[in-house]
Amino acid sequence: MTLEELNVFVTTQANVGMEAYYWWCTGLMIIIHVGFLMYEVGATRMKNAVSSGVKNLLAFAFMIPTFWLFGWWIYLAFPGGFVPIDLEGYGVPWNVSMGPMLSDQATGVFWAAFTLFACTTASIFSGAVIERIRISAFAFLAVILGSVVWILAASWGWHPDGWLVTRFGFHDVAAAGCVHTVAGLFAFGVLLNLGPRVGKYNDDGSANELEGHSLVLSFIGLLTLIVGFFGFLGACLIWAGSDLGGWVNIYGAPATLSSFAFNTLMGLSGGMIGAFWWSKGNPFWMMSGGLAGIFICAGGLDIWYPGFAFILGTIAGCVIIPANNWLHNTFKIDDCVGAVSIHGVCGILGMLSVGLFASGFPAAGDIPPSNLMGQIIGTVTMALTGFIPGYVISYIMKMAGWLRVPDHIQEAGIDKSELELQAYNQ
Amino acid sequence: MNTFPGESASWEGVDAYFTWASSSGMLVLFTLVTACICLGVIIAAARHETEVADSNK
Repeated sequence: MTLEELNVFVTTQANVGMEAYYWWCTGLMIIIHVGFLMYEVGATRMKNAVSSGVKNLLAFAFMIPTFWLFGWWIYLAFPGGFVPIDLEGYGVPWNVSMGPMLSDQATGVFWAAFTLFACTTASIFSGAVIERIRISAFAFLAVILGSVVWILAASWGWHPDGWLVTRFGFHDVAAAGCVHTVAGLFAFGVLLNLGPRVGKYNDDGSANELEGHSLVLSFIGLLTLIVGFFGFLGACLIWAGSDLGGWVNIYGAPATLSSFAFNTLMGLSGGMIGAFWWSKGNPFWMMSGGLAGIFICAGGLDIWYPGFAFILGTIAGCVIIPANNWLHNTFKIDDCVGAVSIHGVCGILGMLSVGLFASGFPAAGDIPPSNLMGQIIGTVTMALTGFIPGYVISYIMKMAGWLRVPDHIQEAGIDKSELELQAYNQ
Repeated sequence: MNTFPGESASWEGVDAYFTWASSSGMLVLFTLVTACICLGVIIAAARHETEVADSNK
């Protein structure tokens, strides 16, 4: 074998390996949606179980074509802010780059992975609004969040040329900001306009517990979701192929899958243990705490000491319950699954943690090292990028009468009224 | 560039290898149809919800 043949062989194998890696990460991420579906259906009362599931399926189904239509282009075109850069046609759906090409083995699988990130972001929002959002309104808002809002934030802070990265050294390798904070705050904005389910609050302001119909389904869903997140987190690393010889993080700095393995598992266990302790053994919060433990570690998932990731996870497990209670008591929202607390609050804490405990880590090229000010600016940007469109768009939809299921349909049950179905034979 | 249906039936010099790859008009058409399907289904679902809400009052 000549040197040239060897070079072709190595490059070909690296490209095929890269394709295969992201292909399977994408498949694993679909399991997140199995988990979200089971979790939310279980957390729903029996009369709305089918419509909850339909909503999850739609979040998945609508995200794929819309992310192909404009989501991927937004990610590539807006790293500088609100003015798109000239990509010479790359990334728009009527360009050949958005179809199979022999010279490009990367675009399809990267687009697929990002599409599943988008589906995940929309599904985070989904759980908060169950049992009283109109299905059509949800589908529209999911498209706005999944194919526009989060990916714009990703272009700014989860892209090697994003302005938050190149100007401020923002470091958020596993999307604590653009996915979890944006989705959590978007959900918060919508919840303020959507209002609680009928019967959630009494006239004196006290709350009623509207328990879901299957705790077992929610358990299995949450654990399934955690399995799927290994695909999500794995796809957050870049397989640099034969050019750079290994893994880099999304900003181009050296990284290892081992760092993700250490810190994901340690954060997960810390979150479960913290929530077990704080909730005095409530299994719903234990599982949610595990997720929160991963999300609080996400910003620095490539650089944490695993013991510290465990401590961060434990903090997340303890924080989510009082944060959720405060949000409910203060704003009278009805976040059925604690999404604002688990994703929004822990995403914010995750980004700030990098600034507080991991400042000075070198980045690639001319990107400034991680620093507290950069993390604060990134956190505020992500929070506002999620909250403002969520609040404003849902406010307009509320005024147009296109947001909330009427009270008499809620009382009768959405499944029977709108879908003419029942989840169970009674 | 190769395309199907089309004159070329060879992998020689091929890069984009999907249906109508050489016809930008067709790609724009399919893009528009995809967008219309997404939007149309959301509008149809919203109408159905409104009708159900009105008929169940």
